[in-house]
Amino acid sequence: MLYILILVISGIAQFFGPWWGLPIVCFALCFWRSDSAKTAWVVSALAAATLWLGYAIFLHYVTQGVMTTKITQLFLQKLPYDAALIIVTGVLAGIVAGFAGLAGFYCRQAFAKTA
Amino acid sequence: MKYLRAALSLLFAGGLTFMLNRPLGPVPALGPFFSPFTGFWQNAEKPVNTPPSDIKLQGLKGEVTVQYDDNHVPHIFADNDEDLYFAQGYVLAKDRLWQMDFYSRVAAGRLSEALGPLALEFDQYNRRLQLPEGAEKVLEVCLKDPISKMITESYAAGVNAYISQLTYKDLAIEYKLLGYQPEPWTPLKTALVEQVMKKDMNGRSDDYRMSNMLAKYGKEVMDDLFPNYPSEESPVIPSGTKWDFKPLAVPKIPELMQATLAAHLNLESENPGIGSNNWAVHGSRTATGLPILANDPHLGLTLPSIWYQVQLVSPTVNVYGVCVPGWPGVGIGFNKDAAWGITNVGSDVFDLYQIKFKDKTQKEYWYNNGWKPTIMKVETYVVKGLPEAVKDTVYYTHHGAVLYDEGKKSFSKEIPVGHAARWSGLFTGNSLLALYHGNRAKNYDEYRVFLSNLEAPGFNVVFANNQNEIGITAQGKYPLKWKGQGKYIMDGSNPANDWQGWVPNDQNPSVRNPPRGFVSSANQFSADQTYPYYLGWKFAPPYRGLRINERLANMQKATADSLRLMQNDNFNLEARQNLPDWLKILETDATVKSNPAYLVLAKWNLKNDPDQVGATIFERWTRELRTAIWEDEFNTLDEKGTPMMYPTRDRTYQMIKNQPTAKWFDNVKTTNKAETLNDVVVGSFKATLDSLTLKHGPINPETWAWGKAKSTDIKHLVSALKPFSRMDVPNGGGANIVNATTEDGKGPSWRMVVQLDKTWPKAYGLYPGGQSGSPGSPFYDNMIDKWAKGELNELVFLKSKGEKHPKIISTTKIVKSEK
Repeated sequence: MLYILILVISGIAQFFGPWWGLPIVCFALCFWRSDSAKTAWVVSALAAATLWLGYAIFLHYVTQGVMTTKITQLFLQKLPYDAALIIVTGVLAGIVAGFAGLAGFYCRQAFAKTA
Repeated sequence: MKYLRAALSLLFAGGLTFMLNRPLGPVPALGPFFSPFTGFWQNAEKPVNTPPSDIKLQGLKGEVTVQYDDNHVPHIFADNDEDLYFAQGYVLAKDRLWQMDFYSRVAAGRLSEALGPLALEFDQYNRRLQLPEGAEKVLEVCLKDPISKMITESYAAGVNAYISQLTYKDLAIEYKLLGYQPEPWTPLKTALVEQVMKKDMNGRSDDYRMSNMLAKYGKEVMDDLFPNYPSEESPVIPSGTKWDFKPLAVPKIPELMQATLAAHLNLESENPGIGSNNWAVHGSRTATGLPILANDPHLGLTLPSIWYQVQLVSPTVNVYGVCVPGWPGVGIGFNKDAAWGITNVGSDVFDLYQIKFKDKTQKEYWYNNGWKPTIMKVETYVVKGLPEAVKDTVYYTHHGAVLYDEGKKSFSKEIPVGHAARWSGLFTGNSLLALYHGNRAKNYDEYRVFLSNLEAPGFNVVFANNQNEIGITAQGKYPLKWKGQGKYIMDGSNPANDWQGWVPNDQNPSVRNPPRGFVSSANQFSADQTYPYYLGWKFAPPYRGLRINERLANMQKATADSLRLMQNDNFNLEARQNLPDWLKILETDATVKSNPAYLVLAKWNLKNDPDQVGATIFERWTRELRTAIWEDEFNTLDEKGTPMMYPTRDRTYQMIKNQPTAKWFDNVKTTNKAETLNDVVVGSFKATLDSLTLKHGPINPETWAWGKAKSTDIKHLVSALKPFSRMDVPNGGGANIVNATTEDGKGPSWRMVVQLDKTWPKAYGLYPGGQSGSPGSPFYDNMIDKWAKGELNELVFLKSKGEKHPKIISTTKIVKSEK
């Protein structure tokens, strides 16, 4: 459930707002409902990675990878594969969201009445 | 404990987010950059891109229709001129905003704000060249005229209508990568873009090298090796054309022409100039009986391309052609009745004056037997990545700004320390008004009105119309010089060395309907030696001009296609004139004669076609040969030596032909031997083969082919962004070939052929790039392959907004927004 919520709400937030809507939504949702530190981190990271990976793969596909290859050459000359850039995108989202979710859980433990 | 854990985790997550939202040194902020919602992923475009069909914008008076053809060329239909230029600004910004912004920053000396300390010296140089002040003067003139004021203000409003819609997600990839934002566009920025072009055309000088050689060898040698006119030339205005004006008196040559040099500099090897071709063929020589006009301006080939195709239609105009992003109107193009094209004149409008200061404060300088105060100005540079702004004090003399102060390092190797420059960058003219008239010109009188507003840089403007009139004018504002003025660095204290007036506009070299039935230019001398004014001692080498004129003189029943083929002419006139003689010398050496490379060269078809090995050998050999003859006396390669330059190709070949015993053939660095012409020719040929073998392996028709060896790169404006460049475009040509695609990335930046007609013209053209400036667009570089093959697109020149044309693929309506 948390996974779906992050996917949908952060997706909407990022569509209309800046990228850091992602960690804020993860933080808020994990503050609201998360069971453990591990779930908070893993679910946030997975949901964020799914979102960024999924959207990136979609854009890569419909644009025939026109920017993917060029940006890959610019940044990751040692890994000249389009997949590398897509994976980096997902990992980046996962790490940021994971730690935001974790912070959400710990704050919930510290401050929320239901904890 | 739980509070500490909460605080720490929150701090870590917040810190991580914060860090990813900031650029890390040269790396852009990773968060927004990688986010598929906002970052580079959003700069990727689908293979077929259809712009939205309805846009509402503030600032429009009426309604504008933009029809995009299948090459993403906008055909703009507006109800009035204000809306027309507004819409031009809008569509240009949509496709090329970053590029326009970049050009204006170059001229403003503000590139380091975006690129960091690397660009600082370049910025300082551009400001000292007074590009920003030149722009302010251009703007002042522009705003005084109601038409040009309307054009530049409408255009700026259109650009800003686009900018105001942008969020980070919509920014060009270059903004995201380099981490800065577009600023509002202004009429001043348009004037700045014009300054960049002026600098590109005329902003360099050989004066320093020339002065070094004069100091070493004296006037007699210089007059012999660096004459004021080549041995063979086919000038822009045909020889024998009568000058139907009474010339002004030319100032007297002062006793002491040159300054004594005190400063010393590092050197840079000679830089082949920027060139172009244009011609118009009279109906007496064409298949249709009406003129055909062709133009291919050779500029630095970049991505995004310097040109953008557009059709502009309003009740006062219907014109098609190319414009420079940031510069409203059409620069080269055609309308229903007439066509025009432009090449660089290349006259000497950049002179250096040596300045003697009273003391180190540089507050006063010696002029006309007295001390004259300088004007001091402090320039401030905000540099990305530096904590504090950099300040630079510049001193101005009446000649111009002191480009370098004593003791400071020079950016351009051409300019010695302690010298002021006077150049055409401060000329004004009203280019927007000129283009306004040019875009609407139907007949010769209207062409002259177009020219009267065009001052700098000097342009060879060719014109043709469907009344069978053709003409060409080397239009520009030329200083009235004494013969040879500015060939060497001048003493800035002597008033006789100042520019003392101007060549009257109506006395510029010009010809209308010459009897030979065609007009042309290829940056060669504007006129023969009967022209009463001195415009410069060195123009482009004569070969392109000679070749064009020889082909046009033999052309009957010319068609658009025969002129297209002529733009792609790879014939090497230099080789035809010289190679037979040189081969005879090579034959005298038994080892050379049996070398396969010699046989290839002897059998070469004299064309710089991409598959020719002979072209590779010849081009490399001429370079080696000139080095072998001149480098020992005229240093260009040793960075520690005094910088000089070689006599021209023309002068060199003339010496080989007519003065085989000239002392210059001896290499003064070998004391035990006196080299002869034969030694130099054979020796340089062997050296050429050695270096070619070293680079490409043993001789082989694949690896030694000219297209491979030459390797044309079309680089992104920021050359560090390599993946946005197109490297190794296969093609032929060369610097002195009509198809002037050079090895350092210069070449035909737009090829156009217009066949005029009583009812509706037929036109063809393309440039090595694409309409979109976005590397993620299918229209970023889609014309390059066709360009490399020498093909042209048939241009879509619509008669009216309602015309159903099969190549129009989408229509955008721009309507005014009330809010």
